[in-house]
Amino acid sequence: MNKLKIYGEDIEIESKDGVEISIGEASKFLNVQSVKIKVLEDTDIVIDAKDVEIKLDFYINVLQDVNVNVYEYKHDGNYKFQYKYYLEKNSFLNIEKVNDGDEIKEMTVINLNGEGAKVNFNLKTISKSDEKYNFLVYHNAKNTISNIINNGVNILDGNLEFNVSGFVSKGIIGCDINQSARIINMAQNTCVIKPNLFIDEEDVLANHSALIGTFSSDEIFYLMSRGISKEESENLLTKGFLLNGITYYKDILEKIINKYWR
Amino acid sequence: MNILKIDNLCVKVEDKIILKDFNLEIKSGEIHVIMGPNGTGKSTLTKVIMGDSSYKIVKGKISYNGKVINDMPVNERAKEGIFLGMQMPLAIEGVTNADFLRSALRAKEGDNFKLLSFIREVDFLTKKLHMDPDMIHRGINDGFSGGERKKNEILQMNILKPDVVLLDEIDSGLDVDSLKIVGQAVMDYYKERKPAILLVTHYQRLLDYIKPDFVHVMNNGKIVLSGDSSLALTIETEGYDKLVGKCDE
Repeated sequence: MNKLKIYGEDIEIESKDGVEISIGEASKFLNVQSVKIKVLEDTDIVIDAKDVEIKLDFYINVLQDVNVNVYEYKHDGNYKFQYKYYLEKNSFLNIEKVNDGDEIKEMTVINLNGEGAKVNFNLKTISKSDEKYNFLVYHNAKNTISNIINNGVNILDGNLEFNVSGFVSKGIIGCDINQSARIINMAQNTCVIKPNLFIDEEDVLANHSALIGTFSSDEIFYLMSRGISKEESENLLTKGFLLNGITYYKDILEKIINKYWR
Repeated sequence: MNILKIDNLCVKVEDKIILKDFNLEIKSGEIHVIMGPNGTGKSTLTKVIMGDSSYKIVKGKISYNGKVINDMPVNERAKEGIFLGMQMPLAIEGVTNADFLRSALRAKEGDNFKLLSFIREVDFLTKKLHMDPDMIHRGINDGFSGGERKKNEILQMNILKPDVVLLDEIDSGLDVDSLKIVGQAVMDYYKERKPAILLVTHYQRLLDYIKPDFVHVMNNGKIVLSGDSSLALTIETEGYDKLVGKCDE
């Protein structure tokens, strides 16, 4: 288990196991700092970010045949983070993110460079201000798999946007690309999802779904038919929507949900 | 004695009239079965009684123990003791059966809710209904087969202990063993609490386990024929066309 604590301008490595981590010099001019992580063996990486006052660039390289779980939690403050992932042959990267910040802008680039590499990405965010997430997922090798799930609940003065683009070039056969984005919009502002698949190869399995709205009337009816009020039904559905698929930060996410919906 | 009464009910969905001057009265301890060809309004009837806002009541009234409930919110009807076991129960990812049932019981019982007795009862019922004991920690009907979903409806009925039970094609999707388990569980509940039961089904086979007092045949949004349990056997042998035709003559 590796733990990175990023509070304010301080980056602290609390424990290190199966990885090499280097923290670059902060660029005073651009106010950007870089964190480079090379994952050498199967492990977990926990990232806890709070009130981060600098822009951060993450470079995460997962070596051949290595499985890694990345659990990230952002809370309070404004964030401008960029992530670049490089996956080698038969590596597996599982990312679970819980965001409860203010303004958040993220750019995520995933490079599936080795045959059989796989990424699962699961983001849960409660958007209260401007949040924009851009994803570029490059299937650079055969038989690579990407599952990108973005779920957000937009409340108060939130503006939430997911832009997800997947790329497969000709000759890169046997890939499996899945994009799923859903925003529950409980505010008046506009939300946007832009799902893109740029595929120049026939031997590819691709799925995408994008949904912006509230909960379905059938779901509400089912819960209410058991005596649960409309408000409590929406709370239950929100809780289920956000908690589904989250493991490491589940308890924290539950507390966040209770903060907003109780 | 609880009485659910439906008087001259006309219901439409979008611009189509589904129920036309429908009348029925069900009392505690009575088991009514509604049969009829597809598309005659049987499922609509159960959903309207439960308060599904997709359906609009254009005329008539539904009353429960003398109180008109046409405009009563769905959850209030449930708290009054009306339960609908649905034909196609939804799967809801992320919301566990445990959270769902706890919320439902808390809504009904308030401070009287007892967690320990809830856990014991769920444990007993999952065994009785031959369900996976871990189902309680899974999302509502998430990954459940059609049969498991129906059993989950019966489990919920047993937990919530309603006085009026509406079961919409609770037998569809059940294999012979599961049909027996579900049928017997409904009858056990009936013997214990004597609710009013309204059962929608297409097949006599469910009635091998659940013994009705009244069987009604619906066609074009209203009851066209009523009888005792022998009517279900007649339907099985003669079919709806012949029976409904006789009624038209």
